[in-house]
Amino acid sequence: MNKKSPAYVLAFMAAICIVFGTGISVVNYATQGLLAKNATLHRNGVLCRAFQLDVAGTSAEAYQQAVDAALRTSVVGGRTVYECVAPGKEGVGFVAGGMGFWDRIECVVVLSPDLQKILNVQVLEQKETPGLGARIEEPWFTDQFKGLTLAWNDPQGQRILVGANPAPNAANEVDAITGATQTSMALMRFFNSELDAFRAQYAQPLNLEPLNR
Amino acid sequence: MASTYGKILKDGFLVENPIFRQVLGICSALAVTNLVVNTLFMGFGVTFATALTAFTVSLLRNWIPVRIRMIVQVVIIACYVMMIDILIKAVAPDIHRFIGPYVGLIITNCIIMGRAEAFASQNKPLPALIDGFANGLGYTAVLVAIAVVREIMGFGTVLGYALPARDLWWHQWTIMVMPPGAFFMLAILTWIARARLVKEETK
Repeated sequence: MNKKSPAYVLAFMAAICIVFGTGISVVNYATQGLLAKNATLHRNGVLCRAFQLDVAGTSAEAYQQAVDAALRTSVVGGRTVYECVAPGKEGVGFVAGGMGFWDRIECVVVLSPDLQKILNVQVLEQKETPGLGARIEEPWFTDQFKGLTLAWNDPQGQRILVGANPAPNAANEVDAITGATQTSMALMRFFNSELDAFRAQYAQPLNLEPLNR
Repeated sequence: MASTYGKILKDGFLVENPIFRQVLGICSALAVTNLVVNTLFMGFGVTFATALTAFTVSLLRNWIPVRIRMIVQVVIIACYVMMIDILIKAVAPDIHRFIGPYVGLIITNCIIMGRAEAFASQNKPLPALIDGFANGLGYTAVLVAIAVVREIMGFGTVLGYALPARDLWWHQWTIMVMPPGAFFMLAILTWIARARLVKEETK
């Protein structure tokens, strides 16, 4: 057959696409169970770290049992809310998500039951630059959020502050990451809007003061 | 025959190294070399994709229409890279969370198409496979060398393990884990390697 003829070119291209497309589909199908298991394990691991739950072991089942035993899950305003019911522990958590520098970032944010303080923050998903923006996952960064007082009355809507600001050492301030200013600022922006949205959805039964913006 | 394969391996790994001789794959060499573990997975991905792409292109070289050969090569490369992406996500999800953005970019790595076009499309499958593998290894070796220095200077660690008595003597060079650090290291390494090779060639 003439290799220059349009029919040959089209047939060859179609055959290549079918063969290699099938190859990818097979690999994807073969790993589907593993990918789903990894996703569940990762989510449970992040929830356990965020609520500082005791986990008996490192297996997927151990994490699942710890989450099932310690967290009560409900849906408030379309958002999944986790309430800690483990003896001696407290906290109400939700997933805060927003656009980072490259892609969407999702974090589990745990607040005190009266919503006045952040108890912990753990990153669930991020695709920031390795070694720079991706350092938002590192403990030195997330530990800064522990015990942070939320400025619900800040007129600018700055419930938390990341990086340089007009009021150094404010009670709601954490340090930004050197070399990843855009990721730090993006985190601050979506944290502030997500905290407001969560409070509006969740806090009605708590009868809190209206937001000051 | 064995000496031919040995020469192909040596050429791809050292004499015609893709980074400091062919100056290919520089984008990812700059991007992922701030941590050794990221570099190793990236190197594995590029080696796997380069070797299998070269093998496949060589197998199909007598049937691929010349006018659409580059489109065909891109389809083959993209498929292997997507398989690598899925496999890393399944086997090492924590690593994938860090280097995921760069794995997709292997598709545009010039080394893969460069070897497919320059070698695989004109040689038999086994030599093509060895050539792709050698070039992938050459790429990985240079990247790991850069990453070790950058991670030590920027984070005070190697593969995540802290240097001995780090707090007593080590001082962080933040710039080494930022893009300029990669440019410095790549330029220095290229300079040393080329100077040495030129010296050997003139002997």
